[in-house]
Amino acid sequence: MTLVLRRNDYTLTDEQDQLVDMLRSLFSEQSAIEVVRAAEPLGFDQNLWATVQNNGLLTISVPESAGGDGGGLVELALAGIEVGRTAAPVPLIDHVVTMRLLAALKGAGVALDALDWDAALSGDLIVSMAPISTWELGAQLVPSGAVAKAVVAFKDGSIILMTRETNAPQAQNEGCAPVAWWSPSDADVRTATLLDGDLAAGIWELAHREWRIATAASIVGLMAISSEIARSYALDRKAFGVTIAKFQAISHQLADIHMDVVTARNMTIKAAWLTENEPAFRPELAAMSMAHATRAALRSTAKAVHIHGGMGITNEADISLFYRKVSSWALVGGGIRRDLDDIGNAIDRRAQELAASALISSNR
Amino acid sequence: MDFSQVELTSDQLVFEKEIRELISENWTPNLSHIAVDHDRMPKPVRMEMAKRGWIHPDLAPDAGGAGLGEIELEVITNLFDEYYIPANVSSSLLIPTLEKFGSQWLKENVLPGIRTGELTTCLGYSEPDNGSDMAAATTRAVQDGDTWVINGQKMWTTWGNESDYVFLLTRTGAVEEKHRTLTMFLVPMNTPGVDATPVWILGGGRTNVTFYSDVTISDNYRIGPVNDGWSVMSEPLATEHGAGVVTEGVAPVNGSMGAGFSRVLQKLVDGAIQWAASRTMADGRSRLEDPLVRAALAEAMLDLEMCWNAEGELGKPMSAEALAKQADKLADMAAPEGLLDFGVDGSIAAGIIASERQHAPGTAVYGGTTEIYRNNLARRLGLPRPY
Repeated sequence: MTLVLRRNDYTLTDEQDQLVDMLRSLFSEQSAIEVVRAAEPLGFDQNLWATVQNNGLLTISVPESAGGDGGGLVELALAGIEVGRTAAPVPLIDHVVTMRLLAALKGAGVALDALDWDAALSGDLIVSMAPISTWELGAQLVPSGAVAKAVVAFKDGSIILMTRETNAPQAQNEGCAPVAWWSPSDADVRTATLLDGDLAAGIWELAHREWRIATAASIVGLMAISSEIARSYALDRKAFGVTIAKFQAISHQLADIHMDVVTARNMTIKAAWLTENEPAFRPELAAMSMAHATRAALRSTAKAVHIHGGMGITNEADISLFYRKVSSWALVGGGIRRDLDDIGNAIDRRAQELAASALISSNR
Repeated sequence: MDFSQVELTSDQLVFEKEIRELISENWTPNLSHIAVDHDRMPKPVRMEMAKRGWIHPDLAPDAGGAGLGEIELEVITNLFDEYYIPANVSSSLLIPTLEKFGSQWLKENVLPGIRTGELTTCLGYSEPDNGSDMAAATTRAVQDGDTWVINGQKMWTTWGNESDYVFLLTRTGAVEEKHRTLTMFLVPMNTPGVDATPVWILGGGRTNVTFYSDVTISDNYRIGPVNDGWSVMSEPLATEHGAGVVTEGVAPVNGSMGAGFSRVLQKLVDGAIQWAASRTMADGRSRLEDPLVRAALAEAMLDLEMCWNAEGELGKPMSAEALAKQADKLADMAAPEGLLDFGVDGSIAAGIIASERQHAPGTAVYGGTTEIYRNNLARRLGLPRPY
């Protein structure tokens, strides 16, 4: 028997550091909270989208063979974190993940006649994908579905492309995310089958993992900024003659939030790296990163609201906006229950490994 | 960024084989003993390891180590985990302190044995009336010419019954002076007047109360200046609480201080899977197919992956609390037979689900409570000292 050791190095390359710096300054300048508020209730800002387009952010993680810059899932995850830090009202993650999926289909020789590729590559045509279609057929809520005119989904073992001439109406939600109902049987929707068989299932499964990881990253960004807002408030706000950060009842909650941010971030970029470089190794890591980011963001932003006391529950407080965003961004993919269901595949793998090992024993 | 598999060199493969041989010659795994993060390495294994410089393997060969790199350290850690060998030796925290503050006599006569691991130490900090607040220590040391006379009582002197020395925090002035009248000693445990009485803890582990009655030792055993014990003690404490500085390479959790607990959680998850695989539902299918069981196991595996992604100091509270939470939940999931002790008719997974539920609360206490770790974390976030 030989040990298997793995490296565990989360450090970014210089290029990745520069990418993060560039994105952080761009979004902090262009996606101020006033912009985010003004973009509600749709949750989309056309000017910011144009800025994203003009700065080449949509092609960073699209393969060179499909006209992109050849960046990977790690870069997309890093971008997701920066999008989340300002709750930027642009469908960057959904669009780029879908472009990667379409590029994979292109690479497999699929003709994408129903799609204006150049318009999609530039972002003039917004595309998205339907994560829920992994499990459910028919009408379903699609992330960025109210701004996309093309949606890729999985149906009866095939990857399908749904397109519309006009935008689907937004399904109003607390976080003001541009979510909409899409259905292949909708009279406004044209449907084309792109690929079927094992190849289709494999490509879809990987794309769904990428969607989970990149979306988890954006939720990490929401958490990270919420953590910083709550920390600043606790250092500023006085009660009983001292800043409330001096009370352990407050500082320990901030420590807990920080632990959630760090672990969710690390899980997400680790899942991104492994999915990119070794897709067959522990495929459950994508569902794990999504499940942890979701639960951590739900509880951490609730704590961050609570640390603000009464101010936290006012609509005008910045923290209440991020609290609202988390619910829509984190749950549109189907919630933790479905992630746990997929993590379950790892149970069966481990059960087989244990059955082959003598180390744990039973006396009955 | 790199999470790839390490290709072991031929030398490293030989090293792994050597350790496996050493272990199988000196050790029989006890699969019901899950508290391996708490207990001390058994002496036969330790002495064999010490001969080869493998107790503090990263030290240079002429300093009692073997000059090994981080891959070899990982090999040792993983093999000890695989064979259920309690790995604690703990002196690695003291070595830099003795090098910096120890008397010439200690450096010549004791430090070499501590470096190789032939000599062992335990920590004498907490007392009946003070735990986390260590500057309130009252165990008194009084100078009498070239000797010191020590009287007092220490709590939680884990391994006090099997150590050669205790790193002892004493009071050498007025208690009101708090951290300004403390002095540290390295007291031989076989000195007349030192007595270790067992305290049995949940899950079957042992710690001790140690009593010091007119314990008379030479000034040679003093570490650092009189009344400057706080600085001396801060050294290993800083090491203990800061052991998780981010390291590159194979560190399984970026050097998380909770790595030991995470390994225990893996064993617990494995035990729970084994329970599920061994039971059937009314319709004849395996419990592994029960959606409620799958949800519980998936959440435990999720917590485990979360712990492996915690780094440094924050790994300690994260892993300890995840372990305690999952020990509770998995005991509930595997009820009632999961609660049976090892060897009892119908017990499963060597009884580890039951025993770990007993042991786990301690992981959030020993080595510093999770509240102390949160205080430290809050300070690193730039928050003021607690009110």
